[in-house]
Amino acid sequence: MSQSLRPYLTAVRHSLEAALTLSNFSSQEVERHNRPEIEVPIQSAELLLQPMHISRNEHEQVLIEPSVNSVRVNIMVKQADEIEQILVHKFTRFLEQRAEAFYILRRVPIKGYSISFLITNKHTESMKNGKLIDFIIEFMEEVDKEISEMKLFLNARARFVAEEYLSEFVY
Amino acid sequence: MSDWRRIDIDAFDPDSRLTAEDLIPSYDRQITLEELQPKMQQLRTLSSGGDTRNAIHLITQDPPYSADDNTKDLYFQVVLETLCQVRQVDIANIVKELNTEQQVVLVKYLYKGMSLPEGQKQGGILLAWFEKLTQSNGITPIVHYLSDRRNV
Repeated sequence: MSQSLRPYLTAVRHSLEAALTLSNFSSQEVERHNRPEIEVPIQSAELLLQPMHISRNEHEQVLIEPSVNSVRVNIMVKQADEIEQILVHKFTRFLEQRAEAFYILRRVPIKGYSISFLITNKHTESMKNGKLIDFIIEFMEEVDKEISEMKLFLNARARFVAEEYLSEFVY
Repeated sequence: MSDWRRIDIDAFDPDSRLTAEDLIPSYDRQITLEELQPKMQQLRTLSSGGDTRNAIHLITQDPPYSADDNTKDLYFQVVLETLCQVRQVDIANIVKELNTEQQVVLVKYLYKGMSLPEGQKQGGILLAWFEKLTQSNGITPIVHYLSDRRNV
């Protein structure tokens, strides 16, 4: 792992450890409802905690928004050029369409971020906190590798196609 | 008034919802930029003179909670400069000397820094501070930060 990536991931890990202390909390607005307070449109300020920004640089950031019964984790994946923007968009969209297979994945990312996770008290009750954090950290590690691998593969393929196509015109 | 059933009547009840402003503790008086100028000047002198240890102690003692957002931002620029001037090898020792209160203030400045474009450029340095802080104190300062409504 590169030298500057490690402090970034440990910062995210510690912040998540602090934020993932969720409890069951029924809605104050609607009787018999139980909803993630961070997602409610008209929010009560006392149920939200201080948001945490963690950034490695301008292009790689994590925003953790904790509340009494839910935590939203927004990740901005590194996008250096237009190819990477397209690849990140396609990749996250592919995952989001299969969101129920990932349990904590949010179907739509928050504006300005590439992908969002929503962890509620239901998740922390049925799954181990440590493993949830490990999953998010592993995702962050893998997604960069995946995107750069896809970019290399794409370039190699484009070169091959161009060579094949243009060789037709060589006499 | 055909859709009177859809009127949000709770919005008319002043006690129904708390806003973010209700949760900030009330201060006797507001600190102005003029009152902070000497402290900012002192910080600049300390950090340019290489006395980063005392500069950090000065930052983390008595932060200007009651100032308005504009003043806080201006003050934060000085804080960020000071944080960036500390040598990497000194960070661990300085962090160890801080008491619990001061650590929470430091965490507040670190998170604030990483949320602003100026601080994001120095992301590596702020993350180094963060790493040293969690190495010596675990997640305690972060938990304090989460529920503290006074922001810097």
